Amino acid sequence: MDIQNTQSQMRKGVLEFCILSVIKKGEVYPSDIVETMKAAGLQILEGTLYPLLTRLKNADLLTYRWVESNSGPPRKYFLMTDKGLDFYAELETTWKELADAVNNITKADTETNNFNQ
Amino acid sequence: MKKVININFQGRVVPIEETAYEILKQYTESLNRFFANEEGKEEIINDIEGRIAELFAETLKKGSTCICDDDVERVINSMGRPEDFETEDPHYNQSQNNSSTQTESNSTTFAAPRGRLYRDENDKILGGVCGGLANYLRVDASVVRIVFAILTFGGGTGFFIYLLLWIFLPSKNLKTNLTKRLYRNPDEKVIGGVSSGLAAYFNIAVWIPRLIFAFPLVLGIGNSIFHNLFWDFDPFPSVFFGSFGGSLTLIYLVLWAVIPEANTASEKLEMRGEKIDLKTIKTTIQDDLVGFKERADKYGKEITEKVNKWGDEVNATASRSGNRIGHAIGIFFKAFFLFIAGMIAFALLMTLIGTLIGGVNFFPFKNFFLDGFWENTLAWATIIGFLIVPLVGFMIWIVRRFMKVKTKFRYFGATIGVIWTIGLFSCLTLVGIVLTNFKTKSAIEETISIQQPSNGKLLLTIQKDPISFYEDHWFGMNWDRNDAPFYGLNEDSIMLRTIRVSVIQSKDENYHMKLVKFSRGKDRDKARSVASNIQFNINQTDSVIILPKGFVITKNDKFRNQQVLVIIEVPVGKKIQLDNSLDDYEWFDLNYNRRKGWNADWDSNLSNSYSWDDDVELIMGEKELINPNKKKELSEDIEDLKKELQEIENKKKKLDKKKIELLKDSISNSVALIHNENIVDNYSSSKQSNVYVSSFLLDKFSF
Repeated sequence: MDIQNTQSQMRKGVLEFCILSVIKKGEVYPSDIVETMKAAGLQILEGTLYPLLTRLKNADLLTYRWVESNSGPPRKYFLMTDKGLDFYAELETTWKELADAVNNITKADTETNNFNQ
Repeated sequence: MKKVININFQGRVVPIEETAYEILKQYTESLNRFFANEEGKEEIINDIEGRIAELFAETLKKGSTCICDDDVERVINSMGRPEDFETEDPHYNQSQNNSSTQTESNSTTFAAPRGRLYRDENDKILGGVCGGLANYLRVDASVVRIVFAILTFGGGTGFFIYLLLWIFLPSKNLKTNLTKRLYRNPDEKVIGGVSSGLAAYFNIAVWIPRLIFAFPLVLGIGNSIFHNLFWDFDPFPSVFFGSFGGSLTLIYLVLWAVIPEANTASEKLEMRGEKIDLKTIKTTIQDDLVGFKERADKYGKEITEKVNKWGDEVNATASRSGNRIGHAIGIFFKAFFLFIAGMIAFALLMTLIGTLIGGVNFFPFKNFFLDGFWENTLAWATIIGFLIVPLVGFMIWIVRRFMKVKTKFRYFGATIGVIWTIGLFSCLTLVGIVLTNFKTKSAIEETISIQQPSNGKLLLTIQKDPISFYEDHWFGMNWDRNDAPFYGLNEDSIMLRTIRVSVIQSKDENYHMKLVKFSRGKDRDKARSVASNIQFNINQTDSVIILPKGFVITKNDKFRNQQVLVIIEVPVGKKIQLDNSLDDYEWFDLNYNRRKGWNADWDSNLSNSYSWDDDVELIMGEKELINPNKKKELSEDIEDLKKELQEIENKKKKLDKKKIELLKDSISNSVALIHNENIVDNYSSSKQSNVYVSSFLLDKFSF
């Protein structure tokens, strides 16, 4: 079993949720998403982000706005649609359930280990 | 020192080092490949490129004069490489490491479902059927095309399958799902790297294509040298093997010419491309089997709907249905036209190959036809320009069409055309010259002095011993001797057997013998000089005259359709016997109507030349050769006897008729007589006369 594989699988599962969470807070520029996530301790490559955003946009969960920039061509800023909000709400529920479950399981596991010791 | 170029990148002018530009280009290409089947590919790549351009702008703002390798590397690292996306992007599972070609990304299924079968609007030569199939099967379109071509020319089925698919499959702009191209592999090459390139393309061991190319080549070379070149007229196997091996060689050369060499790393990657291994094929087939019924049902429904729709349209509006049906008819016509054109092209190709093989067969004979430098040059120009070059050109054209590869040489077609035209003119000139060399026929006559046989009988036979310079089978001359005018060949000489023997009546009491040697040539003098070179030596031992097996033409004499007529004059009453070995000669026809120019006085007697039977003593009679021992055939005897029998029966019938008539007469006469007797001598015993009459009657009828 490849540890890296498992780790990346774990990260992959929450990636969309995290991105949506960042966008939900307000209109953002993709590189800002990367920065925000990096600050929170979750590394993501911009090359991964763009296709994800496009897919979410194509699924009508996101939309974007061209914003004039003071240097060079206008930039794409992403924001949430109503459908995206619903989607996010569902993901959030799932995440909470999952997090609780995982916490419970891992806590139990730790306790058992302690008891054994 | 590095060269800096300015590029327009996402609406910004970016000064960039050339090497850095190469890296950037490769990176964007790798992105293109990675997102090839992604919906919204353009947008994603645009976004990424836009971001890169922004990062470049920031770098330049900080004071850099241009973008260097390190800058590009840094930006690429922050954007991530396609390999990295796979580990991060939830849409790419680890298990699908190589599946950058998925049409629809789906994280839950192991192998992504394929779309249905379409015709490919983007990748088409005729109707896009092959392109669509290739897309569906995830193989290169050229492979499918080659398979279809083989099916079409092999049995014709491919064409009909194609036609049906063309009509029933919907057309769609399909995105390519293959990143694989055929390259020559420069790292692993024996000759041109074609085999290893093919091996990489099909993901097979290198020795397989090598063996395929090499084996028939060796076979073909061996075959053509030992059979074609040296006169084995067994054309079908040699045409097959010769052309098969030969065309593989040609295919190799053509592939060598048109396939680009994989030089850069990205080209080498492209050369390997996606793995088409057994597993992929297996999953492909399994997918097919699972979904087959569903698909079949679905397609069946669709086709029914389609047909119904057509029907409705026919009923509803003539113009609208006209479009649909017109479309189908149009396709039919186009397909039919292409089919015919293809057949013609194929026939032409075959003719070309046939002529080429024929030319190879003819080749060792060249020296006996052609005279001098110019004629030989023309012959070479004909063979190369008129036959080989268009063949190679045609193949290159086909491969280019199939592989969609472009040669760098722009004037390819024009060059081929010019060379072919030169070849054509060479061919015509050569034919003209050769025909001139055969224009006039002339003959010389020689009288051969022979000893008069002591027993009044002459035996004519052919020398039985093999001729010293000729070795049987050595140059592959195991052909049927009775069919070939040429008896033997080595590098310097051929032996002709165009010899005819005529027997005519002698004007005096002696046997005489004459030779008439014919030849063709530019003019009469030339023809005669060639004819005089014919060596035809006759030996005599007492009553036996031995004729040679043939006469030898050397390379210097050239072949000018030389012929020898042997005339034997036999005095009346004397005998002659002709051995059946004379049948080995190739009898030629004497053209009586055109003998005017021939300086020969034998021709007045020629109409008196007689036919004969082999191996029997013949006696020269006053009018014809007589065979004293000639027996009638059994069937002839039966026929004659039947005729005789018929005649006899006819006579008998006539006689019978006469008899009956006579009988009638005699009866009436005798009755009258009896009557008279009765009158004269009434009493002279009527009993007796009755007995008399009856006995008379009995007499008459009992024969």
